[in-house]
Amino acid sequence: MKYIKIYFACVKTAFAQAAAYRADFIMGSFITLLSNILFPLVTILIYANGAEFPGWNMWEVLLIQSIYSMSTGISSMLLSSVVWVTMDHIREGSFETVLLKPVSPLFFIISANFDVQSIGLFLGGVIMMVIAVVHTGIGSVLDILSFLLLFVAGIMVLCGMNLIMAAISFKWVGNSRIPEIFDSISTFGKYPLSIFPRTVQILSVIVIPVAVIGFFPASALLGRVDKEAFLALIPCVLFLCFGVWLYNKMIRLYEGVGG
Amino acid sequence: MKKLKHKFEECKAVAFVTYKEWSAYRTHSLVSVFVGPVYFIVQYFIWTAVYGDAGSLAGLELSETIRYFGASALIGYLTMDFADWNLQMLIRTGKFLTFTLRPMHHRFFALSQKLGHRVLGFFFEFLPCLLIFMLLFKVEILPDRMGWTFVSVALAFLMNFYVNYCLGMTAFFLVKANGIRVVYQLFAQIFSGALIPLNFFPKVLQSVMIFLPFQYTNYIPAMVWTGSESIGVLKLNVPQAVLAQAFATILMFVLSEVLYRCAMKRFTAVGA
Repeated sequence: MKYIKIYFACVKTAFAQAAAYRADFIMGSFITLLSNILFPLVTILIYANGAEFPGWNMWEVLLIQSIYSMSTGISSMLLSSVVWVTMDHIREGSFETVLLKPVSPLFFIISANFDVQSIGLFLGGVIMMVIAVVHTGIGSVLDILSFLLLFVAGIMVLCGMNLIMAAISFKWVGNSRIPEIFDSISTFGKYPLSIFPRTVQILSVIVIPVAVIGFFPASALLGRVDKEAFLALIPCVLFLCFGVWLYNKMIRLYEGVGG
Repeated sequence: MKKLKHKFEECKAVAFVTYKEWSAYRTHSLVSVFVGPVYFIVQYFIWTAVYGDAGSLAGLELSETIRYFGASALIGYLTMDFADWNLQMLIRTGKFLTFTLRPMHHRFFALSQKLGHRVLGFFFEFLPCLLIFMLLFKVEILPDRMGWTFVSVALAFLMNFYVNYCLGMTAFFLVKANGIRVVYQLFAQIFSGALIPLNFFPKVLQSVMIFLPFQYTNYIPAMVWTGSESIGVLKLNVPQAVLAQAFATILMFVLSEVLYRCAMKRFTAVGA
């Protein structure tokens, strides 16, 4: 209960901070939104030139990508700043200020760094999704429930990734390019899984379940998902747990140098 | 001749120091050795699926498109630049003053720095990725026309620098030019051809892009690299495309000089 109170107090503060510089916040959100809706442009251009992803029409592919944007938006709000803040603390040797707080360091750093600006990304995804759904239609109530379940699982994967990235920075100090590694891997989750070879499909469902970020929830919404897809929920939960475990383990490597 | 030799010595010294300085972060460059091939393989799967049985799309065959993405990534490693960020930081903090007092033009200094930085990129990003593309992915990535490709990439290197330098100079007028940089990068991402070959864009947009700087930094050199005989909406051959690049680069250089002279009249060095 104490933790929930602290978390919401921090989120409230984050909104209050954003409200102090409203124009900057709106511009920032808008630019975040614009820069992240670029990748659907490639899909649109592909279809405009008469080509297609086999078995998927343009709106269905855009649905995958819009859900991907929404998941990224939510996970960024929750955890993306954790990567940068942890990285900075380690490089500057100021992580003690987190360690000294009378709550779990990971919890403190998550709640104190709620990223309001990523709301632009989430809203962009929602708009894109609504447009896509108007064209594709959706399945039954059961399909919507499956979608919600897989959507949450996808967010877990992204949160796990953010935590792993932040954890790596305890060892690989000051490397601002760590997120690029995970961005490149998660690209596999932005397209229909069927275009990839079997090995990549297995890897992106079981090892690093990026397929659950966009592809599976979109398939569920379209009523196309197999029952086996729900087995992918297990690796998603494990991935998030691994992220939390790794972060807490890596904290012990912190040396306090640089401050 | 003596002056030229002196310039060369200056450039060599600055480039070498920059190389040494950034060598401390060489593992950062090595991230590209993972990221580059992963993006490339994603593109490979996407385009193989998209082409299906189609012989060509937007005037490009599958093998050309795959080569295009490989070349585009490799060119990115050779021409990458953050002169804009660096210059606007120097201006905002007033540190630029120290450069106006030196017997060396700051633009030449920054270009030499970029040279040193990209030599590092050549060894730690370009070469490993080239070898991965060639040996692991078995893509015929080497350019057909080595000489023209070299000139084209060199021009893209300069073009990217002059564009970014001009963007950096906007800080003389706006103090904090971050917004302009972000917006430029956004457009550059779409219109430089790094996401998708410009052939896929509508003809009208392709025609407009002739007059914008973006395609001269990535699309044209990547097409020259693939040896295409029909580049862009004007269907240029390789020498014509390189000539167009040279023209655009000279234009950008002149613009940077004009901007520099205007800026020097209003530089106040506040904050130094």
